[in-house]
Amino acid sequence: MFYDLIIIGGGPAGAAAGVYSARKKLKTLIIADSFGGQSLVSDSIENWIGVKKMTGLELARMLEEHVRAYENVEIKMPEKVTAIKAIKSSFSAQGGPASGWQVTTNKGKNYQAKTLIIASGSRRKELNVPGEKKFKGKGVAYCSTCDAPIFKDKVAAVVGGGNSSLEAAIDLIPYARKIYLLNRSGSRADPLIQEKARKSPKIAVINDAEVREILGNKFVSGLKYLDKKTNKIKKLAVEGVFVEIGTTPNSEIFKNFVKMNTAGEIIVNRETMATNHSGIFAAGDVTDEIYKQNNISAGAGVIAALSAYNYLLNIKKNENKNSN
Amino acid sequence: MANKVVIYTTSECAYCEMTKEFFRQNKISYEEKDVSVDDKAREEMVAKSGQLGAPVVDIDGEIVIGFDEEKLAELLSIK
Repeated sequence: MFYDLIIIGGGPAGAAAGVYSARKKLKTLIIADSFGGQSLVSDSIENWIGVKKMTGLELARMLEEHVRAYENVEIKMPEKVTAIKAIKSSFSAQGGPASGWQVTTNKGKNYQAKTLIIASGSRRKELNVPGEKKFKGKGVAYCSTCDAPIFKDKVAAVVGGGNSSLEAAIDLIPYARKIYLLNRSGSRADPLIQEKARKSPKIAVINDAEVREILGNKFVSGLKYLDKKTNKIKKLAVEGVFVEIGTTPNSEIFKNFVKMNTAGEIIVNRETMATNHSGIFAAGDVTDEIYKQNNISAGAGVIAALSAYNYLLNIKKNENKNSN
Repeated sequence: MANKVVIYTTSECAYCEMTKEFFRQNKISYEEKDVSVDDKAREEMVAKSGQLGAPVVDIDGEIVIGFDEEKLAELLSIK
């Protein structure tokens, strides 16, 4: 099967691209880890236009159902793209497009298409300090809505200075005995949420702290951080470390194919979502879009699908010209 | 023979929901222990799995961490 379009990702961008591509009758394949993107684990989404309030899982199901309503979209899930490469189309000899793309997945499968939409999103950034990997799931946590209750009566640290760090701290308030909020250069969170967090006597803020190591035996028992005010390494006894230091784009495997900025975000033309490589489009959090928002990702996915459709029309036109 | 399936969950956990939905779809009966309210279950979960993260699934003593569809299907002989 040679698809017209392979969409990599099942978040709002990938799902929106899937719906639009289906409505243009393109033979479409979506390869995704899951639907819903990063919002999947959110306990409350209150800004998806048209829905006052829902959980991340509800959004994921809405997206999946909508895409599955179309027969010409195939879905491979859970499956992860591990590599892409340019190919000569098997039917170029019969006047088909001169090239296409082969996508390889973690299940050892290969899929081919004339065009690609990269909508692989982003993921939580890790601290990259000794002990973090070793204690992942053993005190080091990345999902406060999921795991906060497990830290009942324990002492936890939340690392990060943005909204998500305070949201994690707030998730922990009903459970943890004490919550340290460590940030490198002061809190950047919205005033509204800062106020909410400040009300709890359980929360203690440590400013100018750079985490250097996670300590423990079987489980986390503490962390070391650099106190940037005194330039001294300090120890803090904690049983949990929630890492909330932002996101990083899932773009590593595309770096030899499309242009990116220094943050690893794929640079797209905002009018068409085209990358610098003809036939490859990108949408959503994996791109250099300024506002990483579900609604915007969905819109970008629509643009990418319509652009891919136009690109395919142009190929066809050129073929007809050549064969006449 | 039916498997004995226990799932340890927290109240706001999407992967827990997805795991339970997977069980329902495949007509697997399971016992749920919500560790956000059940202290004993929480200790049990941590002791069994060595993990401080939800969900944890116990299938006849085999422990599955997180929502691992393939592993669950294998242990429950679901095609």
